[in-house]
Amino acid sequence: MRHILKIAGLLAVLLAVWIGLLQSSLISPQDALLLPVYLIIALGCYGLGMVGIGLLVFPTCPKEALLLEKDVAEAKAFFREIWGGCQFP
Amino acid sequence: MELGDKAIGFFLLTFSFSLFAYYTFWVVILPFMDGDHFVHKYFLPKEYAIIIPTVTGVAVLSFLMVFIGFIMLKSKPKAL
Repeated sequence: MRHILKIAGLLAVLLAVWIGLLQSSLISPQDALLLPVYLIIALGCYGLGMVGIGLLVFPTCPKEALLLEKDVAEAKAFFREIWGGCQFP
Repeated sequence: MELGDKAIGFFLLTFSFSLFAYYTFWVVILPFMDGDHFVHKYFLPKEYAIIIPTVTGVAVLSFLMVFIGFIMLKSKPKAL
């Protein structure tokens, strides 16, 4: 709940700054109208970059995978010994 | 497979960062430059700063909708 309040506050501040820029003649209104689109583009870039970072640092554990495969083979051999004649896929 | 995932991640990161840098330069920095500066010839007119994102967004959204529709059609209906 606090998080959503923080985001809402940030959006309100951005809206206030934007309206201020629109009212003042610091930059031309044609350029100031582009800023929300810029915000959306920045958000999209952030999301895409986060997906990229997630893919880049995705943890894989090849050592543990080898150990697990060894365990599976061991278990299969063990059960084959107990129930001889049973078929395992 | 792992290397391919890493390559895709690196490509996504590079693409998003370069897109962000280009768009920032286009929308935020360019209005403060002189109208006859030479960098202006590396950027499309201002209208395209809205048109291209809108068209891209509509295309991505419709692709997602079609994809979801295909998934829903392909999945077997649950037996009640």
